[in-house]
This record gives sequence, structure tokens and C-alpha cells, in this order.
Amino acid sequence: MTCELANRQYSLLLYGELTFEEEELVQQHLDGCEGCREEFSRVKTLHRAVVNCEAELDGALLAECRRTLRVTVAAIGPPKKHSWFDGLTWGAFLKPLGAFALITLGFLGARLTSVGEPPQFSQSSVPMASRVRYVEPGNSSGRVQIVVEETSQRTFSGETASEPIRRLLLAAARDSSDAGLRVESMDILRASAGSAEVRRALIFALQHDPNAGVRLKALDGLKDSSGDPETRHALAQVLLADDNPGVRTQAIDLLTQKKEAAMVGVLQELMRKEDNSYVRLKCQKALHEMNASVETF
Amino acid sequence: MLTGNGEAVATLGTKAVSGLDEAALIRAAQAGDQYAFEQLVQAYDQSVLRLALNLLRSPDDASDIYQEAFLRVYRNLHTFRFDCTFHTWLYRIVTNLCLDHLRKRKVRREEPTVVETSEGPVDRMEVVPEKRAEGDPARKLLSLQLGSRITQVLTDMTPRERMVFEMRHYQGMRLRAIGDVLGTTEEAAKNCLFRATQKMRAALGDFV
Repeated sequence: MTCELANRQYSLLLYGELTFEEEELVQQHLDGCEGCREEFSRVKTLHRAVVNCEAELDGALLAECRRTLRVTVAAIGPPKKHSWFDGLTWGAFLKPLGAFALITLGFLGARLTSVGEPPQFSQSSVPMASRVRYVEPGNSSGRVQIVVEETSQRTFSGETASEPIRRLLLAAARDSSDAGLRVESMDILRASAGSAEVRRALIFALQHDPNAGVRLKALDGLKDSSGDPETRHALAQVLLADDNPGVRTQAIDLLTQKKEAAMVGVLQELMRKEDNSYVRLKCQKALHEMNASVETF
Repeated sequence: MLTGNGEAVATLGTKAVSGLDEAALIRAAQAGDQYAFEQLVQAYDQSVLRLALNLLRSPDDASDIYQEAFLRVYRNLHTFRFDCTFHTWLYRIVTNLCLDHLRKRKVRREEPTVVETSEGPVDRMEVVPEKRAEGDPARKLLSLQLGSRITQVLTDMTPRERMVFEMRHYQGMRLRAIGDVLGTTEEAAKNCLFRATQKMRAALGDFV
């Protein structure tokens, strides 16, 4: 394999798109060619750099998209059901004739093919979205018993402040699989942020949720309790550790609602390590308003 | 997770359903079950939104693509005949919408990265999470320049190159699946990816 040919394969090698034989040839070439090893190492660095440029999925945006879609779909109503029969271009008078022919065909077909008893179900219809848990072979009659797990949907409604509703909302706010659901739940829970349990849930989300949209929503919910010592402690931690500039900016806003000498050290620490120019500007302004120096000496 | 076609869909939403459940959901949605339709949407919508967001770099445009794509799914689900995976069918819709959008945008002016907000001008590139090059101003500057250059190269690619690059690099789709989605061969998708990566390497060669 020539250097030029190997060079063409580096990206495909990194993506795992080469066959076993192709990969072997490239690896053999790399083992024996220092120049190509260096070039391959550069391509690997480049791949990593491009990964870092992936746009972050905002939970609030996802929640908004889902809400809009739900409203639009509800407004449209059920989609029109089409059948192949509708597509036929016969005159209107031929349709009833066709329908009669089909019914007759179906009737005759059933008479000719049905053998023994029809299958019986314990319910009126077979569940549409379900999972077969286990099957039990039947006796000599050829019947079989199938146990099916179904996921049922129930609707609860009530006041946000009521205990059962709040419990469900708190559970939804912790649903690790759905950032949109977490954002929507946080949004409703904000109204009950006075409750210690809700406040703790918001603080937990602020410190641990992987999605920046959810963390921003949690911050929003903590606005009214920014004077609470536990909340302030969490805000200070987030300010120094969160990797999202929007979250850091909002944390500054909440922390500086109450001018407190203890916050000066936190803000100065932030100035020391902050990369983002807008966050630095906000932090600088807050320190200035507290008559504190921007840096520690 | 692997679908029937063997294509990787590991990057789908965390609620991605198994092939068996998915077929049942699709049939239920085709029969008019709204809950099943919502479940289907939620299994795929995170990856659809991420794809649109990465390609268009605008939350508003990505949101438009999301709405249009899932409304088309809703209206045309009765035509889905299981002759390809639902993922492929959905991605055909999404990629066509995104390609149209990118082509229109190429004709119009390119969008600036700096946008006006209520709190003054904000560079959208700064919202893209950067790995902090802590304490080293030179590395910090290099990281910022690199991010900005990568975005520029992505913008300069043809819509098709960008689409293939996006689906392979960020969505982790196999070239065969990308070919299926774009209605082309695996070989053509491979060539497209090669051109895209060559452009990337040529433009960023002095950074790495």
C-alpha cells in the first residue's frame, strides 16, 4: 500500500468503515511508515476536535417542540385513513359492486378455509402495544396460553399543590431518559418552590442534571429562594463548576440579588478561571457593585 | 442497538424502542392511536432535533424542521409499509427537509454567528460547549479559533457533504444506512464523506 492510498483511508479507519482486510493493510503500512503515523495522529486529533463542536441539545427547546407538535396534531385531528379501494378510478356506481364482490369473496373464502374453532381471547381485542411475557404450551387440543404484559396509560389531574400530583411531578423531574419531560415538570414545580422537598429537587437538578436546559429551568425555579443558605451554597458550587455559560450567568444573577461578603471570594475565584467573556463581564460588574477588587492579590 | 438492517441506531433517543415494540407502535399509530404516535415521536425526536440543530445551527430553524418532519410522518404514516426501517423512513423525510433548507440558505446570505439579544450581542459559537483549556491563554485562544474554523468549514461544505459528515460523525450512522436514507449507494456516501473529511483536513491542517 502506498502512502497516498493509506492517507485516503484514515478517516474511514477511524469511523470503522473499512473491511478487516483493508484495515489490516492500513495498519501494516502505519507500522512501517513514520510519516504516515504522524499524519494519522493529526487526523485523530482533528476528529476529536470536531466532536467538541457538536451543538448541545437544549431540553427547553425539545419540550417546546413537543408541545407545539402535540397542539398541531390535536388541531389537525386524526389523519384521513386511505385504502387502496379509494385510489381506484372507477365510477361511483361501480364501488358498491366492487364492495359486494369482495364481501362475497371473503365469505366464500372463510367457508372454504376455516377449520375447527376460531381462537378465543379473554379480552375483546389483541393488545396493540404489548410484550409477550411467556407462552405455555397447551395440551393435545393444540391450544396455547400466552401471558402478555401491557403498559397502561392513566390520566391524573389536580391542583399542582396537591400531594399526589406533586409526587408525580417530582418523579417526572427525575426521569433520566427524557430531558423534555424534566423541563416541563420543573416548569410546573417552580410554583411550589416554597416547599423544602421541591426546593431540594430543584437544587439536585441544578447540580446534577446533564442537560443545560433542565439546569436553567431549575435555576429559574430557585429565584425566590436565592436567600436560602442551602440554595446559595449550591449556586456557588454551580457557578464554579458548571460548563454552560448560560447557567453560570444566571447563577451570578441569583447570587448577587443579595449582596453578601462571602460571595466576593466565590466571584474572585470565578474571575481567575472563567473563559467566557460575557460571564467575566457579569462577574466583574457584580464585584464592582460590591466594592470589591476583581482579583485577589 | 441494531435494527433489522443491521444499522447502528445507538445514538437515537434513550427511549428507542426494540424492533418488536416499534412495529407494534407503528401499527397502533397507523390505526389512529395518538399515544402510540407520541411514543414513536419521543423515541426519535431527540436525534432528529440534534441533527437539525447541528446542520442548521439555529434553534428556530431546527424547531421548524422538527415540526414539519413529524407532521409529515403523522400525515403519511399510513403509507409506511415496513419495506425499510422506520428510522430510515423518518430520516429520509428529515434529511430532505434539511437539504432543502441548506440549499436555500446557500442561495441566500450565510447567517452571522453573532446575534442581537436583550442582553446585547452574543456570539452563538460561545454557546457551543467548549472543553475548557484551563489556565492556558494560548490553548484557550487556539481552542476558540479551532471551533470557529470548524464551523466555517462545515458551512463551506456542500449540503450533501455536510449531511453525510453529520450523520456519520455526530449521529454515528453506518455509511450503508446513510446511503439508504439519501437514496444512494454506500460507495457514493463513502466518496462524499471522503471529500468532506479532506476539506476538513485541508482547512484545519495548521491547527493540529
